[in-house]
Amino acid sequence: MGAYVSRFSGFFSRERSRSAWHALVSMAKVLLRRPMGAAGTVIILIFAAMALFAPTIAGPYPNYATGANVSIPFSPPSPGFPLGTDHYGRSNFALLVYGSRVSLAVGLTASLVAIVLGSLAGLAAGYYGKIWDQIISRINDFFLVIPWLPFVLVIVAVWGRSFTTIVLAIAIISWPTTARVVRSKVLTVKTLGYVERARAIGAGDGRIIFHHVLPVVVPLIFANMILTIANSIFTESFLAFFGLGDPAQVSWGTMIQTSYDASRIFAGAYWEVLPPGIAITALVLAFTMVSHVLEELINPKFRRR
Amino acid sequence: MPGDPSRTLLPRGGGSPSDTFNTTTLRAILTQEWGLDKPVYVRFGIYLWNLAHGDWGTSITFNAGSDVWTIITPRLASTLIFTGTATLLSIWVGMRLGLFTGWKRGKFSETFVTMFSLVTYSLPTFWLCLALILAFAVAIPIFPTGNEYQLNRCADSDIPCILLDRMYHLALPLTAFVVNNYAIFSLIMRNSLTEELSEDYMVTARAKGLSERQQVIRHAVPNARLPVVTVIALYIGWVFSGAIVIEAVFNLPGIGLLTYQAIQYRDYPLLSAVFLLGTLGVVVANTVLDILYMFLDPRVREA
Repeated sequence: MGAYVSRFSGFFSRERSRSAWHALVSMAKVLLRRPMGAAGTVIILIFAAMALFAPTIAGPYPNYATGANVSIPFSPPSPGFPLGTDHYGRSNFALLVYGSRVSLAVGLTASLVAIVLGSLAGLAAGYYGKIWDQIISRINDFFLVIPWLPFVLVIVAVWGRSFTTIVLAIAIISWPTTARVVRSKVLTVKTLGYVERARAIGAGDGRIIFHHVLPVVVPLIFANMILTIANSIFTESFLAFFGLGDPAQVSWGTMIQTSYDASRIFAGAYWEVLPPGIAITALVLAFTMVSHVLEELINPKFRRR
Repeated sequence: MPGDPSRTLLPRGGGSPSDTFNTTTLRAILTQEWGLDKPVYVRFGIYLWNLAHGDWGTSITFNAGSDVWTIITPRLASTLIFTGTATLLSIWVGMRLGLFTGWKRGKFSETFVTMFSLVTYSLPTFWLCLALILAFAVAIPIFPTGNEYQLNRCADSDIPCILLDRMYHLALPLTAFVVNNYAIFSLIMRNSLTEELSEDYMVTARAKGLSERQQVIRHAVPNARLPVVTVIALYIGWVFSGAIVIEAVFNLPGIGLLTYQAIQYRDYPLLSAVFLLGTLGVVVANTVLDILYMFLDPRVREA
């Protein structure tokens, strides 16, 4: 150890990080060649564009002070308001377009937190083994088995409704899947020759984990992150539907909730209920499709046929 | 304190100080009675002690003051009938479609069915329920929008009428559940069938001169079924989550709806009882499936 190793022990040392980067790039290339992967990527890009250019597509965010994009509450579709208005008279179309920002923000943030937590837990459990593995795996089992919905509902209900609590609640319920796959991958990687060689020449645990093991696990982590994004967007919509969404922002789930709470569906107001649900489904589906293809790429058994 | 349960029973504000039963004193009395003034570990100790003596807690909102079991018991049957039927139907449909897609792997029909499964799996449950209500209860009013039965339609002794009435009311909830959940089982069946088909014994089966149908049905499928059994145990929690949403939207008086209401009203004793019951359910289901696994897999039986 000592000076020699510490000079090169950073995670972004050129050689290893390039191999992980190459793995991701080649994965992306194959992904785009598969019809399902390409379709998923295109849908995600459409929603990303929708989030970025929301003001261009739908005009300003509905605002009472300026009267922008606001009309009579619960009005049916009309030229200026393609999807009618909600209980405050805000344009549903504008809310739908701006809602993509909420869903993408919650999805990306929550899955990032979950992935970091899950990867660290998985690396620790797989690499250190023994008592660490026991503790982490048992906590893992607990979270994998308990019903996710009442769990997140209770967390957000008790901690209060805000962007942070929603993201944390989703991250807490979704880290175990990542931890599990990372752990089992680490278990096989750490017995490989080059890891033993690194240890033989005196590399420390930190260097081996972040320099030799992590780069191999990165593609797996990436595939899991995509799936976690899908689950996070899905979970956020459930929270919003049960009235536990972020009060500061209107998400797609909130739009369905307001319409449902006002019993609008019995009046046949399909223009209020259907579009947000289709948006949730399309975005979740896009991420699921990408992760579905990635899963097949990572599992060599599927590649053979 | 956010989520203070006394808030659900008492109005906000203090009331006049001269009044013996102003809300501030009442809140203090309730806080003391529920033990909320004690530290968490003491409360948890009391909870475990009571549990060991068969006391699962006292509900604070549903018939406030009654034992949680008097509230849970009548709803248990409803949930078991609904989730039981729905889960079995989902597994059956899922295994069928998984067998089909695993077999036809790479063909157009496989891509189509897999794509369809991914779509139904991505549908948010609550929205699927609303869409079904919109389509089959509002636009084409052939099914009821909720509830478990119609009052006074059947005489108490008329069993066939009661069964038909229940099935009629459960048609939409069951559809929602199956559409949303079968994909879990079909994707796993497909993956495990694909893995089995690449095993060496499949080459042997082909060399023996079996038809493709015989190869798959007799040799691959029995082995491919095993992982599905393991997965079922893992998804009991998932099934429960789906049931909460469906029961809430269709207003079915079961444990799911009860859980949702307990969260809404901050009825923590009821909530922890339902959670404990759910966890016990998962443990029991896992044990049952482990035993079932022994019958399905001779290798485990011998070990």
